[in-house]
Amino acid sequence: MKPGDKVKITLKDNSIKEGIIMPSKDDTLILKLNSGYNLGINKTKIKETKQLKKEPMKKQDKINFIQDKTLKRVTILHTGGTISSKVDYETGAVSSKFKPEEIITMFPELKRIVNLDSRLISNMFSDDMNFSHYNILAKEIIKEIKKGVNGIIITHGTDTLHYTSAALSFILEHINIPILLVGAQRSSDRGSSDASLNLIAACNFIKETNFVGVAICMHANTNDNVCAILHGCKVRKMHTSRRDAFRSINTDSIATVDEYGKIVYQRDYSKKHDQKLNLKLFNENLKVGIIKIHTHMSKEQFEVYKNFDGLVIEGTGLGHTPENVLEEIKKLKIPIVMSSQCIYGRINMNIYSKGRHLQELNVLGNFCDMTPETSFIKLSWLISNHKDNLKHLFETNLRGEINPKTVFNEDFQK
Amino acid sequence: MKCGLEIHQQLNTKKLFCDCNSIIIDDKPDFFLKRKLRTSASELGEIDKAALHESQKNKYFIYEGYHDSNCLICIDEEPPLELNKKALNIALQVSLLLNAKPVDEIQVMRKVVIDGSNITGFQRTALIATDGYIETSEGKIKIETICLEEEAAKKKKDTQDYSIYNISRLGIPLIEIATGPEIKSNESAKEVAVKIGMVLRSVGSLRRGIGSIRQDVNVSFNGPRVEIKGFQDLQSIPKIIKFEEERQKEEGIKEPHVRKAEKDFTTTFLRPMPGSARMYPETDIPTIKISKTLLDSLELPVLIDKKVENLEENYNLQAELARELVKNKINFKDYVKLYPGLETNFIARVLIEIPKEIKSRFKLDSNELKEKEFKEVLQLLNENKLRKENTIDCLVQLLKSGKIRLEEFKRVSDKELEETIRELIKKNPKLSPGAIIGDLMKKFNGKVDGKKASEIIKKLL
Repeated sequence: MKPGDKVKITLKDNSIKEGIIMPSKDDTLILKLNSGYNLGINKTKIKETKQLKKEPMKKQDKINFIQDKTLKRVTILHTGGTISSKVDYETGAVSSKFKPEEIITMFPELKRIVNLDSRLISNMFSDDMNFSHYNILAKEIIKEIKKGVNGIIITHGTDTLHYTSAALSFILEHINIPILLVGAQRSSDRGSSDASLNLIAACNFIKETNFVGVAICMHANTNDNVCAILHGCKVRKMHTSRRDAFRSINTDSIATVDEYGKIVYQRDYSKKHDQKLNLKLFNENLKVGIIKIHTHMSKEQFEVYKNFDGLVIEGTGLGHTPENVLEEIKKLKIPIVMSSQCIYGRINMNIYSKGRHLQELNVLGNFCDMTPETSFIKLSWLISNHKDNLKHLFETNLRGEINPKTVFNEDFQK
Repeated sequence: MKCGLEIHQQLNTKKLFCDCNSIIIDDKPDFFLKRKLRTSASELGEIDKAALHESQKNKYFIYEGYHDSNCLICIDEEPPLELNKKALNIALQVSLLLNAKPVDEIQVMRKVVIDGSNITGFQRTALIATDGYIETSEGKIKIETICLEEEAAKKKKDTQDYSIYNISRLGIPLIEIATGPEIKSNESAKEVAVKIGMVLRSVGSLRRGIGSIRQDVNVSFNGPRVEIKGFQDLQSIPKIIKFEEERQKEEGIKEPHVRKAEKDFTTTFLRPMPGSARMYPETDIPTIKISKTLLDSLELPVLIDKKVENLEENYNLQAELARELVKNKINFKDYVKLYPGLETNFIARVLIEIPKEIKSRFKLDSNELKEKEFKEVLQLLNENKLRKENTIDCLVQLLKSGKIRLEEFKRVSDKELEETIRELIKKNPKLSPGAIIGDLMKKFNGKVDGKKASEIIKKLL
């Protein structure tokens, strides 16, 4: 008997169970009863298993839909994550749907907003991403741009969404269309998923906007009524599970898009231009690390990085490390940059002598307000593409990743 | 008629999948949420009818939340914790008391519900045990399943475009007990419900009050099955089933569906019957193995009916008093042991009926009378320092002043009684014995032993 088989099971106490065998491990048989419930039966209690004839699965009607060619062309590139997954009610397994007609079946609203195409690039957890994936994704984007699309949506697992958005921002120099990364904090297999509003808002934004660049589109708050368009280099996942986990860091969101598609811009943003798009890929063999400073640190913690190509120090406060590791930092002959574990605020290594000492050791990043993740991506990208001018460029704003001036906000986390 | 019952009882543990207390709140909400739900065709190739029925409405939902009884898990902003262990233990105890067999491994399921009553779009539910039975006057009735599930939010308002829900109730553990379709009469349906209620109360840790226990009835009269939800009380079950039978005779019935019991004992259409297609595993919660060790460690309580029976037999108590003693969780054995001089039915009446009388006759809160007060008075009765007829006055005195003044209940001495009677007769030799006793009672404020007085009068006349 295998998962999916319909069976009648007689137990040793002569009670009878009927249902479909589900995938299960070890000594328990999981059976889906006719009522829909799954229950586990200890295999040693089974006297007899009889296979029953299974009712044939009803075929789903083929979906026909006509795309409105007058609408803006948008391609959805799927990288995995839960946003486009659907549950198989029979086995409980979650499968992903990527064909345009499947996306339209799941989110029928989209076809009235844009002329949609959809492709699968990879199907992975976002934690497994590396530089090669950023390169593949960027090349796929170029392909789509050559086809003449007006915008691209990338579905992506949320855990490292902000790494990818920063990476694409740097790779795609002079990008001239909007590229929106969209994730879901609640998987699409539940009625309450945030995926639909995130996708609808992304389409609505692309439909109307003259913004160009890479941004993230996710819920702006816990309600299903407004999404935020967040700058790809100044954004971070700030909550493990909430819909509105993604927050702008040290800046405002680019815009909000409500459930009806109404856009409200919150700040300046890059607009259409005449410059030529350059593809500046990552060196996929680089080894770059992030080390978080904490109390009671040992020198050995830095030794790990001696054969690395670069290092981000996630320092305390304005950009500090303990005294006892300065010597170790000096020994590392690799590019090192400072970012703060405070997340919010700017690095300033002039205030305490330790900070000045770090500057003497060529630790970069003074006066920068980049998140540790953006610093990591930028450093890696600069090592890949501009190793000769790294010091200057790291501390220069290239894609909106550095905000030279922070406007006062009553609540800095807003 | 084929009739099966589904009993839902709220538990008084923390919520089933989070650390919120199971408190239902009704005042001003602490926060509001606006959410939407959506569904699509299920992968079985059939669209779940009940789910679709709701999704076609394309509604939005306003949720009113309370910090005291809601957290991020309640509002679908954080994944669930594990199934509440205390609730599981209660469900297992109930299962065993209903002679059911716990499953070897529990898998929490998601039951798609998109009327908005669950913020997630599904209700988490788990099958705990199967194949039980209870004995009734009409024979054994099968208990098909015992499930543990999340309570839904309470609908406050429903319009075409949106619904408003109070979510303080959302997530409270519910035990769902479903009988087989074997109940043959209206009255028997009621008996089964009462019996299951008794088993639940025997285990304890239940929520009390309106809505904490609900009965659904599955009924078919040689036709498709109809589920009737929302009975206010057990008394209405037979009547509503009867009305439904008449309605079906008149209107006919085409498809299985769910109906709502109304206050006037009629029923109204609620939604189509949900299919099995709307159930799929809750992947956020690991399955739970039910080991023999766990089952053996459960201490099964004595059933309330059994306790009542024991009291009746052991102490020759009246049935009603015995039931009340059990209901009020009074350790009657202790009292009997402490006061051997008093009759058991008398002790029970002091504990059960006198407080009720104090409430009705003196308009006092007899709930303030605790074990200590009862024992004080019973001790006096046991030592013959207080007469039975003064029990209620004595307890009232205790309730009002906190003290017992026995002198107020002292009788006039025989000597004083004889002298007074002598004087009365001397004054008016024509007085009848009855009139003399009347005068005595008036004079001594009732503190006269009537029997003794009659004897003296007889002697003197």
